[in-house]
Amino acid sequence: MAETPEFFDIRNTSVRRSMVLLASGALIGLAIAGYGLFTAKGTRSRGVPPEAIALVNQRQILRSDFMTQAQTQYTVPFAQTSAEQRQKVLQDMINEELMMQRGLEIDLPSYDPDVRNALVAGVELEVTADVLAQQPTQEEMRSYYEAHKDKYSSEGVMQLRDLLVRPESAHPAVAHATASAAVAALRKGQPLAAVIQKFKLVDSGRFMDAGHVDTGDIFQFAVRAKADDAIYNATLPLKDGEVSEPLEESDGVHLIVMIKHRFPVAQNFEEASNRVWTDLKNEAQARVNAANIAYLRSRADIIVAPELAQ
Amino acid sequence: MSESAQPQPPAASQRSRLRLYALVALLLAVLVGSGWLHQRRIAARLLETEPSEILHNPQLISDAAAIARPQYQRHCAGCHGEALQGDPKRGVPDLARNVWLYGNDPVDVERTILYGIRSGHPKARNLTDMPALVRMGQITTDDAHDAVEYLQSLAGHAHDEPAAQRGRAIYFNKGNCYDCHANDARGVTDYGTPALTGPVYVYGGDRDTLYQTILNGRHGICPAWVNQLTPVQIRALAIYLVTTPRAVAVARN
Repeated sequence: MAETPEFFDIRNTSVRRSMVLLASGALIGLAIAGYGLFTAKGTRSRGVPPEAIALVNQRQILRSDFMTQAQTQYTVPFAQTSAEQRQKVLQDMINEELMMQRGLEIDLPSYDPDVRNALVAGVELEVTADVLAQQPTQEEMRSYYEAHKDKYSSEGVMQLRDLLVRPESAHPAVAHATASAAVAALRKGQPLAAVIQKFKLVDSGRFMDAGHVDTGDIFQFAVRAKADDAIYNATLPLKDGEVSEPLEESDGVHLIVMIKHRFPVAQNFEEASNRVWTDLKNEAQARVNAANIAYLRSRADIIVAPELAQ
Repeated sequence: MSESAQPQPPAASQRSRLRLYALVALLLAVLVGSGWLHQRRIAARLLETEPSEILHNPQLISDAAAIARPQYQRHCAGCHGEALQGDPKRGVPDLARNVWLYGNDPVDVERTILYGIRSGHPKARNLTDMPALVRMGQITTDDAHDAVEYLQSLAGHAHDEPAAQRGRAIYFNKGNCYDCHANDARGVTDYGTPALTGPVYVYGGDRDTLYQTILNGRHGICPAWVNQLTPVQIRALAIYLVTTPRAVAVARN
């Protein structure tokens, strides 16, 4: 149908013309949006910014990174690299960028443990960089040493037996009496083997070495790791040849025979300074990491399943 | 009274004033626009020209200096000093005397400015640092004193010869110093290790400072500027830092 003359007469208002122009505009807009959407290109730069050597899906590969990469790869100053070498480096960098973008696209960090670990390590390194860079002064180290003096001593070494009167072999009260009698016998100087045989003592099995009862030197930290607090604390004051009081535990009544005990020796500041330095650094690093985690948690939306919700 | 001498109607006078304002605004816009375009062109030339070629182009060097100088004073002078002289107390190298831990090729300098040294940025220069050789138990305090005597001998200073000989053995064996500082102790730019032959030292070449370095190690840093300065400012700074000491050296000679 031919248009009425008013459609082209721009001096007069035409409802039909308005509607046609509106519809055309909408259609053109939709077409542009659809093209962008289905070609997945979106808005894009037509040229490469001067600071970049290439754009890969609109992400820049910086000229400076490119030059450094070329220098590193061919171990010559950038000015001495050939056109072929530069082309090779550039194509490799583009490939790497594409792979990295693909990794993000498929959300690699969410399930690949190596990527996750690398990300965690990277973030930790970034937040602790300042701490790593700072060297504690002698004054800081000395005041830390004074505040934590008890930490700085040489490691103690023990040779001990942890013997046990099992409750199933007697009534608990009888087991305690047996243990007390064994302690008394040992304190009178009777030989250990004879006392073990006479009172039917068994080894607790806590201090083992390759399947056998460890009768050799055991570092104090190893005693702490293997024994519970009561047993460990009972070993600490015992000198060579001394025997502890009977200790009632769930598996029976224990008695500790200290065959040999080399006590820890406190280190002075000079002897301990290496450890002080390490401890100071580690503590500062841990503080910064904890602060970072606290900050991240404060801005995160974390929802925990009801059974573990606090 | 002629018709032309009659006062113009107010509407016409307002129109001519508006026209004048529009013209001035247009001129201003053209001026600002051409200035902006000029800056953009300089920035593009600085970024697109190879750094080694910029060093042979006085105009680009001067353009770089114009961009870099205010940035240097604002961001770098606090540590590196207003005249690039550095600060031995903080281990900031004396750039004015050409102490370049990672080399003075503008590409290397640009990378240092971009990502820093032990800055925490993943691309920072962070291959190694000066280990606390005594604290970590690699060598004893006596070994450290001997090593200091060896370094004094390398610098041509008065030294205890037997101790220096022992220190030489420490340098090449127990201390593993040669591994980073090179056999001739002139440093290795790949690692950022300084020359130990003097006369210029990063932290100072006196006995006590050298001993402290061996005892406690060093861990100098430079921030990463990649997110704080524009690419052209960073390129300009690299060119400025490389060319200024060279110009000073030429002037001295």
